[in-house]
Amino acid sequence: MKTSNVYIAFLAVVLLFTSSVRGEVVIDGFLQGLYGGRVDKANPTIGEQTASESRLQMRFQHWGDNGNFFGRLDFVYDGVTDTYDWEVREAFFRFGIGSSLDFKVGRQILTWGTGDLVFINDVFAKAYQSFFIGRDDQYLKAPQNALRGAWYNPLGELSVVWSPRFEGNRLPEGTRLSYYNPLQDAIVGDKNSEYMAPVKPEAHFKNSELAARWQHRVSSFATAVYFYRGFYKNPNGFDMELGAPIYPRLHIYGASTRGPIGGGILWIEGGYYDSRDDQDGDLPMIPNSSLSTLIGFERQIVQNLTFNLQWQADVMMDYDIYQQQVSEQGGYVRDEVRHLLTTRWTKLLNSELVTLSAFVFYSPTDEDVYAKLSAEYKYTDQITLAAGANLFEGNHIQTDFGQFQRNDNVWAKMTYGFF
Amino acid sequence: MNRMMKLTTALVIAFMAVIAASVSAQEDAEQIMKKSHLAYYYAGDDGVAEVDMRIVDKKGKERIRSFAMLRLDLEEGGNQKYYTYFKKPSDVARMTFMVHKNSGGNDLRWIYVPAVDLVKPISADDKNSSFVGSDFSYEDVSGRHWSEDTHAVVADSTWDGAAVYVIESRPKAPYGGFALKRSYVNKQTLLPHRELYFNDKGDLIKVMTAEEIKDVDGIMTIVHRTMEDVKKERVTHVIFSNIRYNVGIEDNLFTERFLKNPPMQYVR
Repeated sequence: MKTSNVYIAFLAVVLLFTSSVRGEVVIDGFLQGLYGGRVDKANPTIGEQTASESRLQMRFQHWGDNGNFFGRLDFVYDGVTDTYDWEVREAFFRFGIGSSLDFKVGRQILTWGTGDLVFINDVFAKAYQSFFIGRDDQYLKAPQNALRGAWYNPLGELSVVWSPRFEGNRLPEGTRLSYYNPLQDAIVGDKNSEYMAPVKPEAHFKNSELAARWQHRVSSFATAVYFYRGFYKNPNGFDMELGAPIYPRLHIYGASTRGPIGGGILWIEGGYYDSRDDQDGDLPMIPNSSLSTLIGFERQIVQNLTFNLQWQADVMMDYDIYQQQVSEQGGYVRDEVRHLLTTRWTKLLNSELVTLSAFVFYSPTDEDVYAKLSAEYKYTDQITLAAGANLFEGNHIQTDFGQFQRNDNVWAKMTYGFF
Repeated sequence: MNRMMKLTTALVIAFMAVIAASVSAQEDAEQIMKKSHLAYYYAGDDGVAEVDMRIVDKKGKERIRSFAMLRLDLEEGGNQKYYTYFKKPSDVARMTFMVHKNSGGNDLRWIYVPAVDLVKPISADDKNSSFVGSDFSYEDVSGRHWSEDTHAVVADSTWDGAAVYVIESRPKAPYGGFALKRSYVNKQTLLPHRELYFNDKGDLIKVMTAEEIKDVDGIMTIVHRTMEDVKKERVTHVIFSNIRYNVGIEDNLFTERFLKNPPMQYVR
């Protein structure tokens, strides 16, 4: 079934290629090989490979008189699971009505907020598994089917994104990467555990996701307020009746500002996570509400060397109740305020043909670290060679990065772009 | 005593005349550079063009950058806004880039990466850094304000049969881009035919050459220029085509809205 789908999609591509409307169509894309493996033998995954894939991405753009269409289609042979797969990464139509309304309708990648790989008000779907195994940055974002409208007026810009069906984050499932399973209270992979798929909210109108942002420029600072009505994007709740992880209901109220200062860029963001199903913080299987704040600064130190620093503080509401409940069960108790420090260093060499990059997440309260290192060389305009490593460390197996401490991996990637 | 007075007066007058002459020569040079700057970087009130950039290294290996570029002048010789829509190569295709050039201070720059729907402001305190990996710096693209340097006409000469001023410019404040620039400015069009850049040791570091100048809608325009990095033995060619001036680009085009939704009428 899956294989026939691939053929149908491939046929569609060939037809598009050869169709007579090509004059207005721009087609480009890339072929890519990504190979990576874990370096920790104690990882409870059966395979040693974290990535072994050949990918073809085709991009189509059609400029019409009243709007434009953009499609991004991936075909992948995945050597880790020995399967063929394809995905419509993007397929949207973009058009305007009058001079102040823009719409983007269809499958799309969505981003907003100010953080660098730290997200507070950006609750659009992410694919952390891709992020951890060396796939391109674009794969950190998972596509969502959505209707996006923006209204531009003298008071600013109001954007509303409506996703009819909830889209959760894509997380490690034990095949390539291991993770912490609270039921077994252990780091598990497909060697010692079976993946328990979370249950998505049913496809009802009331379960759709709504995200809104109002943005206005105050001198050179882009300032915004946000609202989100939907669900936690990670399955961090548990339903005893279903016997499965669930995505609890969530509202977010937030704000951000970002602009130039002191020769660099400063950003500040905050958001209140209102856990709708656990207003009093007394349900042990549903996360408590929390307040998250972020401050970051980026600047170039010397030519072609840029760095940034971020500090995030996440405060849990009704912490006393949480602490008491978890202590009674003898579980791991997190701190009331979770601090996260991150830094990114980017060095460009050889006329920007070589990029060295290091991104480090460190939480002094969770006592865990995640380092993402990469080197990239643009051999020609077509061929890019890259290699990197993902390293995790932690004193506890329950924390965000500590749970991935067996997943250290290295990877190499070659990309051939065509246009 | 009287004679002494007269002699002194004559000397003082002569001295002042020399100073006045040199000041006015400097003023002339500054006027020329101002006019040249306006002819070069502020042609028309706005402009749209297709740009093909070819970066050729010493082994002859070529890289290309292909983009559409929009420019709007907010004031002659002052603030400008630039918008760039990348077409090639494929790893940068559809990315957009915007600059609000602030002639009195730091520019504001933004980049939009469509693959992740990311708008990112870029810290921009270094105007001497390379533009998209080419031999042109940001300042070579949008122009270094003439008032940041002192200028002197050092000779009159000819270039390719045309009469040119040879002008030397020195930064008033220490600058990483050059310590001395020698320009060959056409007396009629006021466009530079050639610019030689020297570092503080007096070594030639970069050479800009106007390879082809054409009349576009009555405005003399450098449609093909090169920048040679002498040390790296690398040359960047910039070729403009489909140039249009005074098309009536609106100021609100240079906002985040259009960074994310490229204006089809100009960039397709």
